[in-house]
Amino acid sequence: MMTNDTQNPLLAVRDLRTYFHTFSGTVKAVNGVSFEIGEGEVMGLVGESGGGKSVVGFSVLGLIDEPGKIEGGEILLDGQDLVTAGEDRLREVRGREISMVFQDPMTSLNPLHTVGRQMDEVLRLHTKLDADARHQACVEMLESVGISQAAERLKAFPHQFSGGMRQRVVIAIALLARPRLIIADEPTTALDVTIQSQILKLMRQQIADKGASMILITHDLAVVSEMADHITVLYCGNVVERGKTRDLIETPSHPYTRGLIDSIPDTAHRHDRLMQIPGSVPDIRNLPKGCNFRDRCPRAQALCAQQEPVLTKQHATLWAACHYPLKPGETA
Amino acid sequence: MNTSNTPMLEVRDLKMHFPIGGGFFNRLKLGGKGVRLENPVVQAVNGVSFKIGRGEIMALVGESGCGKSTVAKTIARIHKPTSGEVRIEGEDIAGYGFAEMLPVRAKMQMIFQDPYASLNPRQRVRDIVAEPLLEQTKTAQGRKDVPARIEALLAKVGLNSEHAGRYPHQFSGGQRQRIGIARALSVTPGLIVADEPVSALDVSIQAQILNLMKDLRDEFGLAYLFISHDLSVVHHIADRVGVMYLGSMVENAPRDVLFAKPRHPYTRALLSAAPSIKEKRDKEEIVLSGEVPSALNLPSGCCFRTRCPFAWDRCARERPALQDVGDDQTVACHLIDEPERDTA
Repeated sequence: MMTNDTQNPLLAVRDLRTYFHTFSGTVKAVNGVSFEIGEGEVMGLVGESGGGKSVVGFSVLGLIDEPGKIEGGEILLDGQDLVTAGEDRLREVRGREISMVFQDPMTSLNPLHTVGRQMDEVLRLHTKLDADARHQACVEMLESVGISQAAERLKAFPHQFSGGMRQRVVIAIALLARPRLIIADEPTTALDVTIQSQILKLMRQQIADKGASMILITHDLAVVSEMADHITVLYCGNVVERGKTRDLIETPSHPYTRGLIDSIPDTAHRHDRLMQIPGSVPDIRNLPKGCNFRDRCPRAQALCAQQEPVLTKQHATLWAACHYPLKPGETA
Repeated sequence: MNTSNTPMLEVRDLKMHFPIGGGFFNRLKLGGKGVRLENPVVQAVNGVSFKIGRGEIMALVGESGCGKSTVAKTIARIHKPTSGEVRIEGEDIAGYGFAEMLPVRAKMQMIFQDPYASLNPRQRVRDIVAEPLLEQTKTAQGRKDVPARIEALLAKVGLNSEHAGRYPHQFSGGQRQRIGIARALSVTPGLIVADEPVSALDVSIQAQILNLMKDLRDEFGLAYLFISHDLSVVHHIADRVGVMYLGSMVENAPRDVLFAKPRHPYTRALLSAAPSIKEKRDKEEIVLSGEVPSALNLPSGCCFRTRCPFAWDRCARERPALQDVGDDQTVACHLIDEPERDTA
């Protein structure tokens, strides 16, 4: 079933607009993004730097600071809007219902507190457990993310852990209060490939065990294709394509998605040259009229300069915002 | 000396150890036989040997801390090696001083990982690209030709003359990496040491830079030492691949041989851990437990044995040497002698 048809999605984001008002102009980092996630689903949010994918994640948690502002749209958690909710409600949501795993395990833990104290904080704020029960829960959680001698390690400080171990701690903290949604922003980008595969395996298993949903934000299509049920591709703050993972990877209909996939060097088939998307991402303060991607698009025509394309149904489970989408098997 | 069978670069038993002394009192240790002054060293590179022919692209892969960047920097003589030989066209530069290195730098240039940090923010692009060239050109006549050459170089890497007067902050990451490449090319070197040249770039820009590097190789017959942690990038660009782990080369083979039949357990684990957009088929899955040990305190024998699923007592006693297994492939693993222990 396509996500759009999900009856009661856990999270529904509708027409989200997050702008940053800077001296040199308004940056429309997220400009009308909509998606839905059902219970137990993993959604990949993909795009290049500047696509707005991290800002979507921060917006959902209400973590947008000045000069940024959510200018419009709805973020519905169980049908309840988080955009209009007060800070008290957001505090309840953060860590309890939605938790976040950040990219850099070196900076997302407090270096001055022991790991145990940072884990305990989550439970202290969000549960009514007593100290012994909290300690027990922390030990169990740390063991379940693959850290041995957990009771001892709780007394250690973050610098006493390696990068992979620290990311395990961050994941343990994110899972502690049994949230229903985890937003993972480039969780393995800072890690080595053998450690990355350990962490991805761990996240997959933990999410399945606890029945949580996940938004996986990454620039790495290979990681997303191994983890996600469906994928949303962002470009310059807009959704350009979304659909089920295999459909989107194998027969993308938006030329940008096609270009992204073709620029990944493929170890199975070696071509002499990689397909490349010409040019670079336009200045987001000063986007061209019509389709944002048209300057880099091999299929662009006059219409693309006049009219902004909207998401429309394509083949299989795909939805794409393109005037001249690709048919299955067609190359850009 | 430019005979065609002298390799462009030959590295023999290269070692690079960094003392991390700290102050006198930090190193002072009591116990055992009274007072000792310890001299801890990080053994970043521990006896690495390889060759790169003219026009060949050799990639070094491995995880963080395996010493691949240190190898690159030692060859580029940013570090002075602890021991071993670094021969550029047969000439050993390992012991050279600053002045002796100057003519060598016309043969070897470097491209760095971070295009934001490797360009001087206060220099214009034209001056950045001209700097190595001016360093090598001392005659007035030669210097007169520099501006025209800069323009040609910028065109070659896909920038135009209008860009020459700008400063680095006015460019995107991909364009900055192009400037770095133009700077390296300015002295027409035979060898370019590229340390993770595309790791900081988005995938669509990464493809542009990889294509450019390949075109330049074909046009100028450049040899690259290409450092990367990304196996798919390495597979795309390299002719030969060396796999490093904890300061040692564990496997060295032509690209197609290495990807088709990796022999070292670490190479196999690395290949199976790499995520892919293709649907999983019957991929051999060696999942490594644990993490890379500290280079301060290397394990005895084989450096990989603490994470190797096949390790046995011999691995703790004896350090395996690189041995030829045919197909121009060399592997440092005791499993080659005792294949019956390979149970995967």
